[in-house]
Amino acid sequence: MIDPLYGPARAIPHPVLFRLLDAEADSTAVPEIKVEQASEFAYYPGCIDYYDQEMQFSHLNYGETNHGIIFDSTVKLLKAVGIEPMILDRSFMKCCGHDQLWQGKVDVFQKMREYNTRVIRMLKVKTLIVSCAEGYRTFKLDYQLEGITVKHITQVLYERGLRVPPSKEGKKIRVAYQDPCRSCRQMPVDPIYDEPRDLVQRVDNAELVELKTFRADAQCCGVAQMMYCNDKTKGITDLRMKEAAELDVDYLLTACPKCLTHFGCMHHENAWKPGGERYKFRVLDITHFLAERLDGSEIGKAPTILPAERDPRLKAGGG
Amino acid sequence: MELELVRQRVFEEKPGFPRQYGPDRTDRQPGQPFWPHEVYRDLVLILLMVAILFLLSAAITPPVGPAKDPTIQPFIVPDWYLLFSWGLLKVAEIFPTGVIPDPLGNGLLGPVSVDTGFWGDILTSLPVIPLFLLPLLDRGREERPAKAPLRSALGLYLIAWIFSSSLYAINNLVIEKWPFIGGDDTLKWFFVIPPLYVGIASYVGLRRLGYREMYWWRVIPIGVALWLFSVQALDTFVLQPLDAGRSLGAHAATLALPQIQGLAFIVLMLFAVMVVTFYAVTFLDERRARALLKPFFVVWIVLFLLVGKFIESTQPASFDFILHQTIPSMHLLYGAPIFVLITAYVGLREPYSAYEYLLNECYQCGKCHTACPVTKVEDDALGGLNLVYNTFKKQHDGVPLWTCLACDACSAVCPLDIKYSDYILEERAKALAVGPPSGRAS
Repeated sequence: MIDPLYGPARAIPHPVLFRLLDAEADSTAVPEIKVEQASEFAYYPGCIDYYDQEMQFSHLNYGETNHGIIFDSTVKLLKAVGIEPMILDRSFMKCCGHDQLWQGKVDVFQKMREYNTRVIRMLKVKTLIVSCAEGYRTFKLDYQLEGITVKHITQVLYERGLRVPPSKEGKKIRVAYQDPCRSCRQMPVDPIYDEPRDLVQRVDNAELVELKTFRADAQCCGVAQMMYCNDKTKGITDLRMKEAAELDVDYLLTACPKCLTHFGCMHHENAWKPGGERYKFRVLDITHFLAERLDGSEIGKAPTILPAERDPRLKAGGG
Repeated sequence: MELELVRQRVFEEKPGFPRQYGPDRTDRQPGQPFWPHEVYRDLVLILLMVAILFLLSAAITPPVGPAKDPTIQPFIVPDWYLLFSWGLLKVAEIFPTGVIPDPLGNGLLGPVSVDTGFWGDILTSLPVIPLFLLPLLDRGREERPAKAPLRSALGLYLIAWIFSSSLYAINNLVIEKWPFIGGDDTLKWFFVIPPLYVGIASYVGLRRLGYREMYWWRVIPIGVALWLFSVQALDTFVLQPLDAGRSLGAHAATLALPQIQGLAFIVLMLFAVMVVTFYAVTFLDERRARALLKPFFVVWIVLFLLVGKFIESTQPASFDFILHQTIPSMHLLYGAPIFVLITAYVGLREPYSAYEYLLNECYQCGKCHTACPVTKVEDDALGGLNLVYNTFKKQHDGVPLWTCLACDACSAVCPLDIKYSDYILEERAKALAVGPPSGRAS
């Protein structure tokens, strides 16, 4: 039942998605893969399209949080630093298995790992680029891909020296970066702390501010491995969002689609509360933020549609 | 799902933990090193103590009574805590004696008489040497037995050895009380073999507790025990009776059939437990070996005791014959099966949570509780409890299993690097375990 006070998000059952992914892991036949342009770099977008669909079509937040844009931005940024990657599409790759592993379904994870490793080896990938923190940890630590370098997109951009052109917007922006658990303190090797911060500082009008907890102490966004969504997890997300609101930031960046989902959901839900006020800042993935500034034009527009215009119940004066 | 498998799949290092232990630990070495900070002060204290002792012994003559009449107490026994040293002096007689006329070969050192007293001195000083060397050889910081199995097993070995040595110190009393033991040689073997059993079995058990690689540590000790037992059994039950039969000649027929039958039955039973255990630990995977051996051991022990009792009550002559044949080499004939039973049991024990073992390190600083985001919102976790410690103690869930975010905020602040999320992962994997039994791993 949908609680009209807090919006639809708290009634979304995640198990359906995971049943789907678990069932998918059972088929091990590799379909025919057409490689249009072979490259030693490969980009694995992961499950962002799943979450994109969930966010776009489940009227969770009326399309404000855009996961698909992470893919576009990453490819755009990679091209900007001179990399034409093979796209390890989900039409032949399986989910990386992070969520299954941390939910305790080790056998499902093993199936996915075996399949994905086979495909990656078959395509002779030298450097595997991922745009999410969970994929980074999973491929780097749990897959044990010997001979294949696993890199997060921010590491690639940092090493290749991404140059962000001078901004056209005059005013300074305050940017905070949320360290995803999986890419910072859960990485015993190569944790990602400095790369995203350095990239943010390459934007000339961006001022990097640190949240109350940051780097290895950074607080979680509230939900891990998509297991629960309830008042308690919302509370954790709210704590984190408030940290950003207190700093009066303009952008809250993250490098993890899950963080993006939950922050975006909270962002939206705040507008549902009676007398509640929408957080002033935008929640973006770091690739989205950088890609927006790459040629001076915004590839993703700021949300213009207010929930009241989209939701019939609000129009009717309910809630 | 076997926990070994979970760990191998999940963590980059195998086997064991992705953690540093022991002297090579580089992550942190808190505190002050013993050398040289503490040594000067200790030296001064020791010298002061020695000076006081010298002063006292020079100034005060202790009251010494008249010498004891040796005829009053023919059997001299030292105090119980010195019995082991007494036993060492007694056992010194097994070493060769003689006089070395010129030990250095250049006439500088006179003839040295290597007698029992010489060997006694050497043997008495032997146990002290490891105590001196231990702090220099074993630089590990870990104190829990499961983390320092070698040191702990050595300690247990020495304790067992002190007992067997003390037993030998009163050998004539022992033989007087249990005459069927027969001779001194039986007790001499006790000097060597049972402490080894204790040391090896406890090492195997502690390795298991410490979650180390186990396979060869079960197979080799049990295999060697089986081999020694077989040789001894062949000697006792085939070669010795044959010899006896040859020397008896026409009287060979006096070895009555029931006696031989009883003896053969006992040896087959002892042999059976060794062979079955060896087969199980070598060729079966851990889970099946456990499933086979547990009931087998119970049934076997009960059966063995019943058969012994039966023979003793119905055929006393046969029982005496069995004792007479087996007791002189009981360190192998009875010791090896007992050793195998215990080693297989402790080496195959079902591992409880690997992370329970790690959570055990917690010293309740409570930082994890402060860092945990869930405790700030979850009612069940409110109340200022200590996350790691209470989970280990099973007093409290800490963070409820499925509510934990596995965000590792607790590990980030933990002074001991306890990986709570690894524990959570293992518990979840166990809760959902549906996989087939693993192979021979671990």
